Amino acid sequence: MPKITLNGRELEFKPGQVIIQVANQAAPVIEIPQYCYHDGLSIVASCRICLAEIWMPDKATGKLMPYMGGKLMPTCQTTCIDGMVVYTDSPKAVANQKAVMEYLLINHPLDCPVCDQAGECLLQDFSYEYGRGESRFEEAKVKNPKKDLGPNIYLYSDRCIMCTRCVRFTREVTGTGELLVSGRGNREEIDVFPGKPIDNELSGNVVDLCPVGALLDKDFLFAQRVWFLKSTPSIDGITASGDNILVEHNDGKVYRIKPRTNMSVNKWWITDEVRHGWKFVQREDRLCEPKHKQFGVQLKTDWERAIADCVEGLKAVATRGKHIAFLASPMLSCEDTFSIARATTAIDPRAFLAVGPVPVHGQDKTFPPNSADGFKLYAEKCPNSRGVRRTLEALSKQGKHNGYVANFEQFINQVRSGEIGGVIVTGNFPSDWVTPALMDALKNAFVVVIDTLPSELAARADVLLPGATWVEKTGCFENARAMIQAFERAIPVLDGARPEAQIGADLFAQIKSGKPDLAPAYNAAAIRTEMSRVPGLEAFATSVSLPTVTVEQQPAMAMVEL
Amino acid sequence: MAIRPEDILHVKTPSMNRLEAAYLPEVIKGFGTTMRHFFTSFGGMGNSRTMSYPEERRENMKVEDGGMELKNFRGFHRLNRDEKGRVKCVACMMCPTICPAKCIHIIAGESPWDDREKYPVKFEIDELRCIYCGMCEEACPVDAIELTPEYDIVGLTRQEMIFDKEKLLHVYDVTISKKPM
Repeated sequence: MPKITLNGRELEFKPGQVIIQVANQAAPVIEIPQYCYHDGLSIVASCRICLAEIWMPDKATGKLMPYMGGKLMPTCQTTCIDGMVVYTDSPKAVANQKAVMEYLLINHPLDCPVCDQAGECLLQDFSYEYGRGESRFEEAKVKNPKKDLGPNIYLYSDRCIMCTRCVRFTREVTGTGELLVSGRGNREEIDVFPGKPIDNELSGNVVDLCPVGALLDKDFLFAQRVWFLKSTPSIDGITASGDNILVEHNDGKVYRIKPRTNMSVNKWWITDEVRHGWKFVQREDRLCEPKHKQFGVQLKTDWERAIADCVEGLKAVATRGKHIAFLASPMLSCEDTFSIARATTAIDPRAFLAVGPVPVHGQDKTFPPNSADGFKLYAEKCPNSRGVRRTLEALSKQGKHNGYVANFEQFINQVRSGEIGGVIVTGNFPSDWVTPALMDALKNAFVVVIDTLPSELAARADVLLPGATWVEKTGCFENARAMIQAFERAIPVLDGARPEAQIGADLFAQIKSGKPDLAPAYNAAAIRTEMSRVPGLEAFATSVSLPTVTVEQQPAMAMVEL
Repeated sequence: MAIRPEDILHVKTPSMNRLEAAYLPEVIKGFGTTMRHFFTSFGGMGNSRTMSYPEERRENMKVEDGGMELKNFRGFHRLNRDEKGRVKCVACMMCPTICPAKCIHIIAGESPWDDREKYPVKFEIDELRCIYCGMCEEACPVDAIELTPEYDIVGLTRQEMIFDKEKLLHVYDVTISKKPM
């Protein structure tokens, strides 16, 4: 393989790669300061801080000669050639880095204390590492008021360093082109066209792309300083795309969601509905105590009593000669589904299994429009309809229904026909999902509801068990591309609620031994191993992709004597 | 304001001579000092450090006699006001970040003023949890939080000892004459 030498280290490269890609992918990374370069965008070489001194061996003699007449070359735009010798730490390159940093800071306000980007700001990091301690600029800095660019985004124009990542994003990735550069020189700024705010489904990504605090998320504005946040790798729990995300939280509260790079799913981006759709997790009216019905009135109870009531009621239905059914919500993880379905079939071997309503809003969309390998937005607004169906079908094959799994309409008709006398219904949807048809069908049945938010059905349930949202539990989702991806627990479960898989295990223990507290504590990996023993679910042992966290390269800051 | 370099007095420790390095004579001398203090401390005699608080207070005494240095004393906090009388704090969260006792709780918000970006909607200091180390005023980039020379605070409940923004601003109004910004 051809090689280049970068700051004294020999690195292999694939033909066509530029120097900065080789440096970023090296292990350990060789840090080259960079603002305008991004793997997902075209190369413009406009920030000029990555310039390097490059030498090439002479073809005839093999002696190293300055490349392109000894000019400093942008490493983000210079393609690697075998034998190239590159220095980003030579006196000439360092002098350029210092000059560029000083130039960028000429008009940059010193408002780090009130800037949301502080702590994850490339300008701060590189100023510390490559800049100089003081500014020689004595004139007044350009000041601009903040500007409202769209429903999610503020622009602080005076903080902008004109890397144009955001402009390229709207032109190349979303294909909507809302942003532009207007003006020249020190009047140059990012702007939107009059009356055309940036309002596409991916707009939040420009905030992540911005290397400084110029573009900020309105939702996260002043909510928390970034150094307090802890991130947990997770999977989008709202849409079917299975976007890889980082849930950023502090003290048991989620503050924001950021994309996690996965080239085979979401690349570097996530949609705005994933970014902002987690709010229901912290709704004030979340269900947080188990309830059961006594003499027709719903009363608070403890978990032990509720689980016992649940099993008792369902067993009574089975002894009356009617069947029970489990309506598995497509918001549940595969482990949750398996765990509750196993408990259901333990009560009634002929229990019916059904998949809950699969919400679909609009149509699938590709960004940019009509591209083959672009970013795909799915119309299906639930994370796991495929995984739930796969799990239920395998269990149904094992049981008496020969792989039959009803969908929501078929389930309602089955309940109406009167052969089903008791149901376990799971919800966990971000908004109200109960339809009048479902309420009407369940009017005479014994209903166990496992849900997170209050609804008409939860108010009518014979036993109500509060469940957990996806950020509060571990598990795995199968996305629209049929990839099974595991996620981790970010925040502790709401006090009083339990993950659905744990509820399933409790029910199972109650059925088998009469003691729900004998149930093992929920462990997603153990349940996946158990699932993989069921014919048809082998994939849960072999092809679950566990979250790999690629921690963004932190600049290796040397301690400085003050 | 943090302690300025010009306020710091550097004291050089004298090196030991042979007799002192031999250890035992100095121990005996030390016992002598203890006994002298023991016998001379009765009835308000020369070496007594006991004082009749609150009639006698340290701020009225000379520093050499055990009085306190008002400029550097670390009593409870105040939140300074800017020239327009608004809270000076910009809610940058430097003080809760540096606070070793984790006693400062701030909720930031967009400021209602045109010339300011961010301000503390809520600012609470748990004075019972505070260890009065002064790191918060050291960390503050806008000199908004300061420790005052006041030390005699009382409260009947723990809740009373959690100072909110209004109380901290009131402390500023009361102590500004005693300790200017």
